[in-house]
Amino acid sequence: MGAVAVLTGEVRAEGVGKTIDETTLLLPTDVSADPGECIVLRGPNGSGKTTLLRIIGGLLVPSTGTATIGGREADERDRTVRAAVAALLGAPTTYRDLTLVDHLVLIDSTWGGDPATSDDRSLALLDRLGIAHLDDRFPHELSSGQEQLFRLALTFSRPASVVLLDEPEQRLDTGKRQVVAELIRERTESGGTVVMACHDPELTAALATRVVDIVPAR
Amino acid sequence: MSKRKQPGRSKADPAPTTQESAGPEPTPPEPMAPEPTPDPPATRTPGETAYDRSARDLTAPGEVDYDDHDLLGQADWVIGGEAARKARQQGLYAGYVLFLGALVYGLPIVQAVFRTSDASSLGDQLSSPEAIALLVASVAALLGAVVFAGRFRGPVVPPMPWIDLVLPVPLDRALALRRWWRYAAVGGLFIGALSGLTIGAGLAFAHLAGPLTIIVTTAVGTALGVLATRLWLWSQVRSWPGPDRGLSLLWRVPDALRELHAESLRAHSANTSTMAGSALTGNLRTARLALTRPVRHGRSARLRPGRPFGVLVRRDVIGLRRTPGAFLSGLGLTLLGGAIVTWAFTQPAAPSIAATIGLLPLYLGFGAWAEGLRLQADNVGTPSLLGTGELTEAVAHVTVPTALTLLVLGGWVAVAGALGSLPGSAPLSLWLILVLVVAGNVLAAFRGSPTFMLRPQMVIAWYAVPALTVVVLGSLVAVLTKAASYTWLSVVSWLVYAVLAWAVSKVRRLTYLHRA
Repeated sequence: MGAVAVLTGEVRAEGVGKTIDETTLLLPTDVSADPGECIVLRGPNGSGKTTLLRIIGGLLVPSTGTATIGGREADERDRTVRAAVAALLGAPTTYRDLTLVDHLVLIDSTWGGDPATSDDRSLALLDRLGIAHLDDRFPHELSSGQEQLFRLALTFSRPASVVLLDEPEQRLDTGKRQVVAELIRERTESGGTVVMACHDPELTAALATRVVDIVPAR
Repeated sequence: MSKRKQPGRSKADPAPTTQESAGPEPTPPEPMAPEPTPDPPATRTPGETAYDRSARDLTAPGEVDYDDHDLLGQADWVIGGEAARKARQQGLYAGYVLFLGALVYGLPIVQAVFRTSDASSLGDQLSSPEAIALLVASVAALLGAVVFAGRFRGPVVPPMPWIDLVLPVPLDRALALRRWWRYAAVGGLFIGALSGLTIGAGLAFAHLAGPLTIIVTTAVGTALGVLATRLWLWSQVRSWPGPDRGLSLLWRVPDALRELHAESLRAHSANTSTMAGSALTGNLRTARLALTRPVRHGRSARLRPGRPFGVLVRRDVIGLRRTPGAFLSGLGLTLLGGAIVTWAFTQPAAPSIAATIGLLPLYLGFGAWAEGLRLQADNVGTPSLLGTGELTEAVAHVTVPTALTLLVLGGWVAVAGALGSLPGSAPLSLWLILVLVVAGNVLAAFRGSPTFMLRPQMVIAWYAVPALTVVVLGSLVAVLTKAASYTWLSVVSWLVYAVLAWAVSKVRRLTYLHRA
């Protein structure tokens, strides 16, 4: 990837809104998050939480307002922004011919992880999420809950100063939600910034530095 | 007429067939089956079918007779009415159009294939053991492709309502499915005969064989058409577990039809809808996933960590190890295409159009090995997981297929050299062909979705652009190489590199196009 500036995890979204044709997906909203914080976006279905996360991740251009990561415009085409943001927004496309551990090794290697310990790191992450015994499975051989854990493993296996998560708790049992909470807490304690949409009050209470209520367009 | 027997019970009165049900236009059945009665009437009421009568007392002792043809006629009428019959008749018109197409386009193309300045040398080469081996391999590959296709989409694919509403009726399944088998069988026979006739006529017109060849090639084409269709059905039967799946089903067609499970038919019908829908909307990922089997091989192999580029290359190697079908189909197509293209560039007697014919399998063979490239394109628009740039990733993903294709082409050049015929221009021209094939596959992987009004002709053209670019420019390279027109060849070589640059720009464009 070449030399890339490291951005801090300062997330600023000021008055960002999204309208496509006549349909408003997101009313102008402010979100501010600093390193070490976990911001929870809360709101009913269709209020625009995912849209806001996509704007913060630079995947979507806001119709109004501006979004920045570490003082830089949030634009996924900018490799600096790409290097700073890890996101679980929907289902990532996985390689159908790679096993779970192969995926993590691939991601780790492409981010310059030490090859000597890449296997260990990958297996340790799978172990933390309780799916180490599935390391030689292919993605299509997982249940929906296991698939969600694998997606979280993919997201947390890469370095990032900002982590965006869209309902990380979905399809997980209570025990696994606690594991995910620990992973998120570790990320914030190590100086990372987490912005996530969440419908779980317990997870929100346990993790949120601040809660941003998203007002539905209608 | 099939019978549903209940051992040790007396046979019910035979039901006479009414005028309505036996006529050319069967009437719809009663909307509701009557309640079972202990003593059914001896004669049928107007509109009543044999099934209606027998259904009245399925618990009573006896043996139930079903008039399969009658039931089938009723079902046809209820589901499709007169429109269905007319639609079936359109099959004849399609055959007529195909025949005219073969006359107008097929024959001149085949003549062009065999047109050469040195007919006797070409005749000798076509009858050489190598050419015959290549022909046999091509036919085997074609039959193999038919067997492969039958696993997902067999020749017998009735519409869903037929599977759900008619197949559960106690009809003889061979009869209930016969129509779709006949469509495929007649189509296979017709296409085989027409192909044989066209090739034989082309050979005869080019004075490479006598008129008798036309009869022989037509007969062989017909036989191959029949064999291919039966293998297709056999493969469809084998796509679902069952007791009778042996090769003897090839000549026991009714038994093969009876072996087709309703769930299997439903899956094949769904696959057809998925593929047709995906093809029409340009959603190639869905079509591809519908065609591919889930990977299950080589799970014990591990991706070795390392530097980003190397690990991406190793990803493709391990991917091919785990999908031996993709590797072998790529190898077969590349060997075939490479042989024809190398022959076209190294043998003066080879017709110019030989390169055109060889380019398509070569392009497709490369594509079979380039799954990593397509998966990269599939990932466009999702948050970044890999730490490499899009171009590095694309270059890494073309490394393995390029190396394999280079190996195959190099092998064929070595064979040509060993046989003593290797013009100096051939390696250079083959290099241009390799660049073109790489660029074409990158273009194909990163073509994205159609942005125009979805009309079938436009979608087909949209699909064909990368392959057409390869075939047209590659043919131009072949013609100019044979004509030793090196000035023009250098111009075309710039065009080839321009296509590569276009492909690179497509990678960039598609990667960032999604952000809107």
